Amino acid sequence: MRKLSVLAALGLVLGALPRVARADGVPPPPPAPGPPASVPDPGAPIDVAAEAPAAPPGDPGPPDPVSVDVTGTKPRPSRGGGDYRVEKGHAGTDVPHPSASSFLTLAPGFFLTREGGVGHAERIYLRGFDAREGQDLELSVNGMPINESGNFHGNGYADTNFILPEFVHAIRVLEGPFDPAQGNYAVAGSVEYELGLEQRGVTSKFTYGSFNTARLLVMWGPASMSQGTFAGAEIYTTDGYGQNRDGQRASGMAQYEGELGKKGSYRILATGYGVRYHSAGPMRRDDVAATPDGEGFGFYDTYDTRQGGNASRFSLSGDLKGNAGDIDLVQDFFVSRTTLGLDENLTGFLLDTQEAEQKPHGQRGDLFDLENDSVMYGARGSGRWGTKVLGQKQEIELGYFARGDHVESTRERLLAGSNTPYAKDADLTSDLADLGLYADLQIKPWKWLTLRGGVRGDMFLFDVRDNCAVRSVSQPDPDDPPGDASCLDQGRFGEHRESDQRATTSSLKFMPRGTIIVGPFDGFSFTASAGLGVRSIDPSYITENADTPFASVTAGEGGVTFLRTWPAVSVEAKSIFFGTHVDKDQVFSETEGRNVIGGGTTRAGWVGSARVTGDFFDTVDSVTLVKSSFDDTGLLVPYVPDVVVRSDSALFHEIPGIPEVLGSRFKGTLGVGVTVIGERALPYGQRSDAIVTLDASTSLAWKWFSLGLEIQNLLDTEYAAAEYAYVSNFRSQPAPTLVPAPHFIAGPPRTIMFSLSGNVGGSGT
Amino acid sequence: MRRLALAAVAIAIALVTASCLGSTGGDTFEFTGWVQGAGARTFVNSRGYEITLTRAKLHVGAVYLNRARPTSVASGTTCTLTGVYVAELPGGADVDLLGAERAPFAVAGRSTSDHAQTGEVWLFGADVDDPGDPTVILDVEGTATKDGVSLPFEGALTIGESRVDTPTNPALPGAKPICKERVVSPIGVDIAPVEGGTLVLSVDPAAFFSNVDFATLEGGVFRDDDGDQASRALYAGLHASAGAYSFAWEEGEPAPDEQGK
Repeated sequence: MRKLSVLAALGLVLGALPRVARADGVPPPPPAPGPPASVPDPGAPIDVAAEAPAAPPGDPGPPDPVSVDVTGTKPRPSRGGGDYRVEKGHAGTDVPHPSASSFLTLAPGFFLTREGGVGHAERIYLRGFDAREGQDLELSVNGMPINESGNFHGNGYADTNFILPEFVHAIRVLEGPFDPAQGNYAVAGSVEYELGLEQRGVTSKFTYGSFNTARLLVMWGPASMSQGTFAGAEIYTTDGYGQNRDGQRASGMAQYEGELGKKGSYRILATGYGVRYHSAGPMRRDDVAATPDGEGFGFYDTYDTRQGGNASRFSLSGDLKGNAGDIDLVQDFFVSRTTLGLDENLTGFLLDTQEAEQKPHGQRGDLFDLENDSVMYGARGSGRWGTKVLGQKQEIELGYFARGDHVESTRERLLAGSNTPYAKDADLTSDLADLGLYADLQIKPWKWLTLRGGVRGDMFLFDVRDNCAVRSVSQPDPDDPPGDASCLDQGRFGEHRESDQRATTSSLKFMPRGTIIVGPFDGFSFTASAGLGVRSIDPSYITENADTPFASVTAGEGGVTFLRTWPAVSVEAKSIFFGTHVDKDQVFSETEGRNVIGGGTTRAGWVGSARVTGDFFDTVDSVTLVKSSFDDTGLLVPYVPDVVVRSDSALFHEIPGIPEVLGSRFKGTLGVGVTVIGERALPYGQRSDAIVTLDASTSLAWKWFSLGLEIQNLLDTEYAAAEYAYVSNFRSQPAPTLVPAPHFIAGPPRTIMFSLSGNVGGSGT
Repeated sequence: MRRLALAAVAIAIALVTASCLGSTGGDTFEFTGWVQGAGARTFVNSRGYEITLTRAKLHVGAVYLNRARPTSVASGTTCTLTGVYVAELPGGADVDLLGAERAPFAVAGRSTSDHAQTGEVWLFGADVDDPGDPTVILDVEGTATKDGVSLPFEGALTIGESRVDTPTNPALPGAKPICKERVVSPIGVDIAPVEGGTLVLSVDPAAFFSNVDFATLEGGVFRDDDGDQASRALYAGLHASAGAYSFAWEEGEPAPDEQGK
């Protein structure tokens, strides 16, 4: 029923939109197999895959800026070496990237794990941050925030599964809080998805493979319109690997891009998404290790088959761009409704402690049943004015951000072996607001020196009603015993009170941010950036009139970028040293089933990356080294990887020796993705196993059709995607287990997928 | 430019080295555990009885060590401490307290390297929360002599329905759960477990009888309830946190042929 709702909503949106021609009135160019165009402003986000025109070898001067605004967006000015604008290119398209979030690994430092099932947001590690499911990473798509403020599972939870990966044109990743336009959750950095569809015409694709996984995709984008105009939908189903990892989802997206007057443009994006799935949850190492083959628990097993969840997201967003006089104007709006249901059992039978007012009971089970419904609405805009002084362009941009959220969250615990709730842990109704403004200056005294930066101020408003404010009474009324109810309406000695309580507060934060860019000299640019970022706090921590306990991050980085384009090859390479400090970091608590506020942490590291693109190849490679430690003890922050290596490489060319058929040549691709994750620090001085996975794909395309083969985890490595050490009691021993023990969540085994797609009405092949 | 590149390489190498070093602190490991009898077979209790035991068998459900400092303040209605548990042997052991051999716990234990200050002995059979558990925890037989009069005795104590203490306040039905009767805590310890060691629980049965007045014992058989002073005192001694139980961490695994006392 939910899938039908998604598609029905999508159809309504598509039907209601007017047909709009391409903004510039000319047909879009066919998808370029080689390096796209370039915007090598030394300050602009660097995108090697988009480099052109080629500079003659040895030419020390930067080429003149060229605007190639394929999807109607103008990249924001660069904020230094940690600012990556990565077009998918062949490295993104021809190497297995099964989800929108997986494209993040095209930027250095990212490590993703899907721990909660096919419908759960992926856990993100970046530059020594355990950003969980987005709590420390600001994510947005075409200007619409993805992070869910007030989500009880994690404040800032960001589920990108609603984005069809085929519609991701590029991502801008800023690994640090260095741009005044960055807002809430930009602690480890920000990610902006830019959407577009290169494959014009009408396309359908069917994919089938391991674990009875099937996906049907339809998408279309008229050849006469820009890549920013497209629509599509998918239906996906899988039995999943191992036990209890099945799932079904449907998703649809539609975007129209059109012109607004002579110099303006607009885009409207509608999305609909729904998913229902099961998940296996963590397993204790000692239970699996002690299991003889064929008996008891296996590596891909589960303790509790009720685990899983459901989610939906419906959104409408848009932007207007234009200029009036000498001011460039941008105005975005967005509204979305999201739901999240999550059933997790991380601890077995541990948390159900006996309260005096309850009837005597044993442990009844720790399956959390979380429900989070939220509505988000808001807008952002900016005006940018520039003039020439000293022969260089000087600019100032002023902007605002306004976002509101209405969130209803409940979390109950279910009786083991049933779906009967026996306790309510939380029942919150929250109205949240984030109102921000910023000023961003660009000062360019000489051609080789650019200073960018400014200040941002954010005010966060919290209005939180705890509908279950009283959960225990030390001296209840004997004539009115509270019994086993979770939300009580009496205080000490049985005095009546209502079971709810409201708390409101607000807080302000000002954050200076700046970047210095020196160069380019012979293709080298030197950059240094610094800034402050902020993450608002979970509404469950709000108390009346108390200062909101912000988590603030102070970050700095410096490095060198090499960027050159020759006729046959483009090269971008970066070497960056970075350091960050968070005053109140968030640490995942298994007993809470969510993040809790921890102490201060510091990170220092280095990242090296390179992208080399030619006529028949495209490779993106990166190495990130980082040390993350707690301020008070100097001990390592657990779980975050200190070594992350990623390589995405693709070869693409016409198949030699095969003649044209109906005027079209056969084309082939070969892609390989390699991930190496070092041994992660675990609690109690332990280290996880290192992870090495190899993904590969190949495809053969002719005119209207394309055959594909994708293999993830080619070596069929049995590995733990996540490892933890905490207390659980899954009753696998005769007596309760109360000492922290190693747990893991199994990563996927080898997964083989075949695909067949057809395309008509586009540019052909 | 070359100097800059060399410096960058040098710093990168330093970071590679540094990033692979360090620790989150502490350690965790598995260990084995044993329970043994301690003290004399014949002893005199505080009531003046010379007691000779001919049978003293104890069933231990599990033992735990906790980082929390021992306190006399009751820990509410929960049967676990709020502190962090350091070590556990989450499986049973049956020991002849008069025998010469240590009895192994049924399962391997798990420990961290934290310093433990509190020990717990859990006396139960299958489910620590089940009041109907019929497991005999203590099985004793012997003779008590005072003023020339010998009183043979025996007893088989469970910790079940007969030990459930009904709360006086009807609004607090869960104030005294059965598990509180089964957990002997807090037992003061001073142990920092290290890998390769062994946890040994020593039980002195004399402490069970320290306040038993055998004159009140009807028919020489301890009741499985609080019906007389002798039965009450024996039960009190069984789950008293001071006296009968002591923990020790011994370096090295005992060889199978060296497991005797």
